[in-house]
Amino acid sequence: MRLLPIAAVTVAVTAMTAGCFSAGTNTSGTGAKAGSLAKSNSLKGVTVTVGSKEFTEQLVLCQITALALRSAGATVKEKCGLQGSNTTRAALTSGNIDMYWEYTGTAWINYLKHTTPIGDPAKQYQAVAQQDLSGNHVKWLAAAPANDTYAVGAKATAAQALGITDLSGYAKLAQSDPAKATMCVASEFAGRSDGWPGLQKAYGFKVPSGKVATLAEGAIYNAIAKRNPCTFGEVTTTDGRVKALGLTLIADDKSFFPVYNPALTVREQVYRDHPAVERIADPIAAALTNSVLQDLNGQVDIKGKEPVDVARAWLQSKAFIGS
Amino acid sequence: MTVEAMLDGRPAARTQRRAGILVTPLVLAAVSAALLLYLRGQHLDEVERRSINQDVITQRFVEHIELVAVSTALVLAIAIPLGVVFTRPRMRWLAVPFLALANIGQAVPSVGVLVLLAVTVGIGFKMAVLALLLVSALPVLRNTMVGLQGVDRSLIEAGRGIGLTKTAVLFRVELPLAVPVILASVRVAVILNVGTATLAAFTNAGGLGDLINTGIVLNRTPILLTGSVLTAVLAMAADWLVGLVERYLHPRGI
Repeated sequence: MRLLPIAAVTVAVTAMTAGCFSAGTNTSGTGAKAGSLAKSNSLKGVTVTVGSKEFTEQLVLCQITALALRSAGATVKEKCGLQGSNTTRAALTSGNIDMYWEYTGTAWINYLKHTTPIGDPAKQYQAVAQQDLSGNHVKWLAAAPANDTYAVGAKATAAQALGITDLSGYAKLAQSDPAKATMCVASEFAGRSDGWPGLQKAYGFKVPSGKVATLAEGAIYNAIAKRNPCTFGEVTTTDGRVKALGLTLIADDKSFFPVYNPALTVREQVYRDHPAVERIADPIAAALTNSVLQDLNGQVDIKGKEPVDVARAWLQSKAFIGS
Repeated sequence: MTVEAMLDGRPAARTQRRAGILVTPLVLAAVSAALLLYLRGQHLDEVERRSINQDVITQRFVEHIELVAVSTALVLAIAIPLGVVFTRPRMRWLAVPFLALANIGQAVPSVGVLVLLAVTVGIGFKMAVLALLLVSALPVLRNTMVGLQGVDRSLIEAGRGIGLTKTAVLFRVELPLAVPVILASVRVAVILNVGTATLAAFTNAGGLGDLINTGIVLNRTPILLTGSVLTAVLAMAADWLVGLVERYLHPRGI
């Protein structure tokens, strides 16, 4: 008689947790009707996995890609929101994902292990695309004109009050009065050679570790808007919150930060098997400018919309997919 | 005294028990040595060397210990007296709101607690300690109440009967008998705190979580391993320390 309640509980627990044991990827996702991208680019019967890093812009790009491919008939598995650039890149090279949007500067410094970036965006892209294809079997599709680069940001009023307009000025302030030059960074920026360590080397300054706060990346924008716990912080140029929170970008007068043009990186095998992917992605890339990205990011971060809805609305507005 | 207790007084058994205490520290030392050897043997690149060096690791370790020590001390200072108060005859009704708060603190995922506090109170060491306090208060509070309520009423009456005041009964009869249960919960709270303190890294409170997080976002296994292994070592070491305290405070004759 005692077995019955035990059996009932076991069945109930298994039923409720069954969902936890299925694969972590979202297979069904949201569908999309055919638009201009699907014309003569059929991917019917094709299954691909799209990944992305964890920040807003990447999540939006992931959804844009998934919806565009689905509008052409493909079955798309999503692995959006992987933690960190290196993790996402490792997922691509290991075959866990088939494609994701990467930035030229990030690949040049972090994966191809060069120490100096190439200033000209077109030349930087050429160099990255060529080396990555021959060395790592990763195909770079056309790059977007947007440049989502790291920048040091601060509240406009704070920067004005301190008289800081460029990073050379910030470097001087950091050396003379570190207490006024407090900085917020995220773990990835703090560890990358094209991030905080490289910036300090290039401009010849060092902020003592007590004056550098490590926060989750998303928390930095509010932190510098409130000037607590830091006045300056790591921001990205296409983030919607820069304008919304009244932040200003401190000019990179020595052009330390590389150019970061986003492009869809695809595993070479997938690229060769399905040339339609390139024909679908190229018009999307051509349409992604800094202001478009800022707007899309702002809709998620400030207006609180879901990345998939923002992505769909944008694709429909350009008639890339059907309404 | 039971027969077993008498027999356990034999010198051989006592030495065995004393030697048994050393097992955990030896194992932890061995694990730490293994980690050190592994790191020395790896060729660490520029990015890894930024996190894996004596200064950074020591600083993170010390920050973590500070977070755990302060929050555990506060939990003891707050939860145990509260537990005593809530088991006094006229104060039982007070328990309800505090237990509810402690329940919420433990039920809400630790990240949630940290984020809520970061948004309302701010970030940094103090806020992280507050979050840890909320997360680990429940076990200690509950166990204090359960431990005190579990004391045989006849023993309390016997204490009153021989002329002890209510306060004396509390300190000389009730609390000593409740110590095993209370300390069991303190062990749980300490291990909980060491684990939860890894999240403090997201809110500028430092700690070993910073190494773990850096290892994840930069996809560098050595950094990730260092952070994880040291966290586990710290948790076990803290548990062992509380176990020592438990031995010392365990009332004779039980």
